[in-house]
Amino acid sequence: MEEIKSTLKYVPTTCPYCGVGCTLNLVVNDGKLVGVEPFKRSPINEGKLCPKGATCWESVDKPGRLTKPLIKKGDKFEEASWDEAIDLIVKKFTEIHKAGGPKALGFQTSCRTVNEDCYALQKLARVGFLTNNVDNCARICHGPSVAGLSLSFGSGAATNPFEDVLNADLIVMWGSNAVEAHPLAARRVMQAKKKGTPIIVVDPRYSATARLADTWVRFTPSTHIALANNMMYYIIKEGLEDKEFIKERTKGFEDLKKMAEKYADATKIHGVPQETVRDIAIQYAKAKNAVIIYCLGITELTTGTDNVRSMGNLALLTGNVGRPGVGVNPLRGQNNVQGACDMGAYPNVYAGYQACSVPENRAKIEKAWGLAAGSLPDWYGSTLTEQINDCGEVIKGMYILGLNPVVTYPDSNHVKKCLDKLDFCVIQDIYWTESCQHADVVLPGTCFAEKDGTFTSGERRVNRVRKAVDGPGESKYDWEIIGMIAKKMGLKGFDWKSAKDVWDDMRACTPNMFGVTYEKMEKPESVHWPCPTEEHPGTPILHCGKFSAADGKGTMFGLEYRPPAEVADAEYPYTMMTGRLIFHYHSRTQTDRCADLHREVPESYVQINTEDAKELGIRQHEKIKITSRRGETITTARVTDDVAPKVLYMTMHFADGVNNLTNTVLDPMSKMPELKHCAVKVEKIKEA
Amino acid sequence: MTKKGDMLYAWTTDAEIQKKAELGGAVTALWKYALESKMVDAVLAVTKGADLYDAVPVLITDPADIAKTAGSLHCGTLLLPKLIKKYLDGAKNKKIGVTVKGCDAMAFYELAKRKQINLDNVIMIGVNCGGSVSPVLARKMIADKYGVDPNIVHKEEIDKGQFIIEYEGGHKGISVDELEEAGYGRRSNCRRCKMKIPRQADLACGNWGVIGPKAGKATFVEVCSEKGAALMDGAVKKGILATEAANPKGLEIRAKIEGAMFKLADKWRKHDFEALGEGKDRLKYIMTETSRCIKCYQCIDQCPICYCVDCTTKNPAMVPPGELPVNFMFHLIRYSHIADSCVNCGQCEEVCPAEIPNALIMHSQQVELEKMFGHTPGVNMELPLMAYVEEKEERARLNNTGSDMIYQNVFSPVKGR
Repeated sequence: MEEIKSTLKYVPTTCPYCGVGCTLNLVVNDGKLVGVEPFKRSPINEGKLCPKGATCWESVDKPGRLTKPLIKKGDKFEEASWDEAIDLIVKKFTEIHKAGGPKALGFQTSCRTVNEDCYALQKLARVGFLTNNVDNCARICHGPSVAGLSLSFGSGAATNPFEDVLNADLIVMWGSNAVEAHPLAARRVMQAKKKGTPIIVVDPRYSATARLADTWVRFTPSTHIALANNMMYYIIKEGLEDKEFIKERTKGFEDLKKMAEKYADATKIHGVPQETVRDIAIQYAKAKNAVIIYCLGITELTTGTDNVRSMGNLALLTGNVGRPGVGVNPLRGQNNVQGACDMGAYPNVYAGYQACSVPENRAKIEKAWGLAAGSLPDWYGSTLTEQINDCGEVIKGMYILGLNPVVTYPDSNHVKKCLDKLDFCVIQDIYWTESCQHADVVLPGTCFAEKDGTFTSGERRVNRVRKAVDGPGESKYDWEIIGMIAKKMGLKGFDWKSAKDVWDDMRACTPNMFGVTYEKMEKPESVHWPCPTEEHPGTPILHCGKFSAADGKGTMFGLEYRPPAEVADAEYPYTMMTGRLIFHYHSRTQTDRCADLHREVPESYVQINTEDAKELGIRQHEKIKITSRRGETITTARVTDDVAPKVLYMTMHFADGVNNLTNTVLDPMSKMPELKHCAVKVEKIKEA
Repeated sequence: MTKKGDMLYAWTTDAEIQKKAELGGAVTALWKYALESKMVDAVLAVTKGADLYDAVPVLITDPADIAKTAGSLHCGTLLLPKLIKKYLDGAKNKKIGVTVKGCDAMAFYELAKRKQINLDNVIMIGVNCGGSVSPVLARKMIADKYGVDPNIVHKEEIDKGQFIIEYEGGHKGISVDELEEAGYGRRSNCRRCKMKIPRQADLACGNWGVIGPKAGKATFVEVCSEKGAALMDGAVKKGILATEAANPKGLEIRAKIEGAMFKLADKWRKHDFEALGEGKDRLKYIMTETSRCIKCYQCIDQCPICYCVDCTTKNPAMVPPGELPVNFMFHLIRYSHIADSCVNCGQCEEVCPAEIPNALIMHSQQVELEKMFGHTPGVNMELPLMAYVEEKEERARLNNTGSDMIYQNVFSPVKGR
C-alpha cells in the first residue's frame, strides 16, 4: 500500500481480552484513540466482536492510569523518577538475592500482556537471579491443560483451530461456557449448529452455551472422571473403540479398560442416568469426526490434570485426534495465556517448553544468553500460588507484572496477609489495583493499545498487537522497564530497541517458534506454532500421523475418580461453583471502566435454585450472605432453575466476592487451586 | 454548462491519473479537483489495508494522495456515513467528499434526517454497485471455486455477471449465479438490494452503458444535483476532465443492466423472505434466531439508523441488564425503532457474532411496512413514520407523568426491577 497521509487511521490489532484472539481495528483520529471498528478481513472473527472486544478501547485512557513510578514511603506512595525506582528495585532485589539465594525471589507475569513482556521477565529472573521461581497466571486457569495434555498427547496445547469445529460431525463441550467466556469461539459452534451438527454440552448449569445444545447433560459438579470413565465403559462394552488407532498410535489401553470396568454404573457419583451416559458415549464413539472442547470447568479442581487426561482418554479411545474435525481443545482463558507459557514464564521450562531439568537445554540457553556453563538452575521453581504461600518464609521479594492477586487468586484474605509479609514487592501495571497498596514500588506500564508485540491465542496462532497511541505520562513499554533493570544490574542481552528485537531474541533459542517471524505475522492469517523454519507454513492441527510425545504415541490412563477437597456437609450444605460473565473480564480493572459493561453488571450476584430460595425464604434480587470456612460475601440472589438444587454459582470478577469463599487446596500435579468447588452456607440478611 | 439530468461519458485528461485510472479515471479526477479547488476540505476514500480483501477508510486532504486510492474493492463492505457520524463530527464543520455505493448513499440520507450528518457539507459521488463480498468468504471462494491461492490474486472485479480475478499467471471468471448457488458470492443483503445506481448522490457514475470507442476508457456520469453539475463544470474548466454526451444506445444498455439487477434482486427477496415463513412461523423463526444474541451492541453501533445516546434497550424496565439469553424485548425495540427506515445495508448481519440474520429480518419487515405506508427509506429527505411523533413533546409529556415506563402495565415486568 502506498503511504497516504490520513488523520483518520485504522490500526489492526488483537483484542486484549480472551484467548480467542480476535482481530479488531483501533480507530485513531488526530492522534487520539476514539473507537473500535470491525476488521472483517480477520480469518479468526471476520469483524465480529463480543461486548468486551467492542468496547476495549474505552479502558485505555480513563482516570486511574499509572503515569509515574511510585515508591512507598511510610504509609504513603510518593511519585518518583524512573532512576530512583529502578535503583531501589535493583538494590533491594540484589540484597534479597545475596541473603537468601535464588529461591528468595518470586516473579509473576500476567497472561494479559504481550509475549515480549513475558519473555523479558523470565529472562531477567533466570539471567539476573538464576532462579526458576517464575510463573504466570495460567497456573490458576489452564495449568492442568498444560500438564494433562502433555501427558496424554505430548503437547500441552489445543490440538485443532477454533474454525475446525465446522469439520466435525459432533461437538462435545465439557465444562465450557464458551458463549460467555469465549464468544467468538462459540460463534463457530453456532455456525456448526446452523449446519446441523449435533452438539452435546456437559455442564452442571444450564448456561448460555447449554442452550445451544441438542443434548444438555447436567451432572453433579466436579465428577468428570466418573462420568468419562462411565462413558468409556459403554464404548468398550459396545466394541466401539477405534482398535486400529489404539494399536498403531497409543499405549495404556489395558489400564484404561480395567479402570472403565469399575465404572459400569457410576450414576450415584455423577448423577446422570445410565441411558444418557450410554447414549452420549455411543454418539461420541460413532461420530466420524468428533471434537471435545473443554474449559475451566475441567481444570480448576484438585483433579484438574486427571480431568484433562480423561478428555484425552476419550479422544484416544475413539481415534479422535490428529485430523480435521476432531481433537481436544482447551479454550484458553486469557488473550495470552498460551503465549505466557510458550515464552517460558514457567517454573520448569524455557520458551517452547524446553525442560530446565534437561542438561542439554540448560547448556543451550546458557550459551544463547551468554551465561557461564552450569549457572542455570535445574530445579522446579516455585509456582504462582506457592510463591504467595511462601511469602515471608522462603520468598522475601516479589515482582508482579500485570496481576491483581488480591482479587483473582483464591482466598483473598490469605493473599493480602501473605503479600504484606514480603520485604519488598514490585507491581508493574497500567491501573492502580487493589493489590498495589501491598507493594513497595508501583511502576507504570503500557496497555495493548500503546505497544507493539504479540499475543498467542488458544489455537496457537501468534497474533500481532500494534501500537495505536502513546502511553500516558512517563509510562514505558513493559519489556523496556525490565530491560532497564537488567542494564542497571550490568546484565548483557537486554539491549532491545523494539518488541521485534525481544521476539527475535526468543526465536533464536526456541526451535518450535523459530519460523514465526514478524514479517509472516503481517498477514492476518499469521502463523500457528510449531513452526521450526522460516519456510515452514505453521501447524494448525497437531498430532497428525504422530503424537508430539518423545515416543510418538498418545497415552491413555486408568484414572480413579476422587471427590473435591471440600464437599458440602451439614454445616456448609451448598456447593459453590464459579465462572465467568460475558460482560466482564477477570477483576474488571479494564471492563468496569466501560460504561456499558458496568451498567450491565455493576456488582456480584449468585444463582440459587428456586427450591432452595423458597426453602430459605429468599426473594428474587434479595441481598444474601454466603459463608465458607475461609470467609464470607454479601451478594444479590438471582433465583433460577439454571442451577440444580443445593448448587450455587457466582462469577469471579468482583472484589470481596466469591474468592473470599474459594478453596486454596491444590491439584497435586499442576498446583491448580480448587476454584470451582467449595462448600458454603447461605443466610438471609436480617432486615434492620 | 453541465446541468442536472445530463447523461455523460467522462474521462480525465490528467496524465498522472490516466496511468493508474480504471475506466477513464473520472472519479479520481473529480476528487482531485474538489480538493484543489477547496470545494471539499477532505475526501473520505477507501484503500487497501493488509491486502486487496481489506478495505480501510482514509481521510485525504492532499490531492496528490487521491490517485493512490484508485480502483474498487468488491470485498470492501464498509459503511462510510456512520464513520462520518461517529468520528468526523457528522461533517458539521467540514466539507467532505465521499465516493458512495447504494447503501452508503441511503445511509447518508437516513442519518441526515436524524440530524446526525450535515448533508450540506457532503458531496457524494455515487458508483454503481452490483454487490460486495465479505472478505473472508471471498478468499474461501477463490480457494475452493477458482482453485487459486487467494494470496496471489492482485485484482478482482464484477463484470457481465461474473466475478473475475486476475492473478500471477492468469485470470478466471465464474458467474455470480453459480457462486451464489454454491453458498459463496455477494452478501445476502446485496443480493436483495435494488439500489444499483445511487441517483440520490450528486453524481451517479459507473461503467454500465459505456459503449463504442470510449468503452473501458470513460465513466458514465448521470448528473443528479446542482452540486454535482458544479463539480463537473469546475473540473472540465480546470482542464482535468473531458466529457461528451452519452451514446443513446449506451443509455438503453445501462437501463437494461439495472433492470436485470432488479429482477435478480426480486428473485432473491422472494427466496429469502419466503424462507422466513409468515405470521407465527416468522415470529418463531425470529425468536429462535435472536435467542443466541450475546448483547455485543455491534448491530446498533454499526446501524445507520441508530444514534440515540440513551438507547431504549438500556432501560432496565425494558430489558433486564446483565442477562444471557437477552430478553426478546431487546430485539423488539430494535425492530420497532428501525424497520421503517432500514436501508438493508447489511452491517448488522455481517458483524453479528451470534450468526443472527439481522438484516434479513429487518429488511423483511421494512418491505412490508413500505407496502403498507408507502414510505421508501434512503432515497430522499422525506421523514419516516416514526418521525411524526414529536420526540421532544413526547418526552416532555412522559416526564410530566414522572416516569418514562409507558409499557409497564402492558408487559408487567418482574417486580423489583
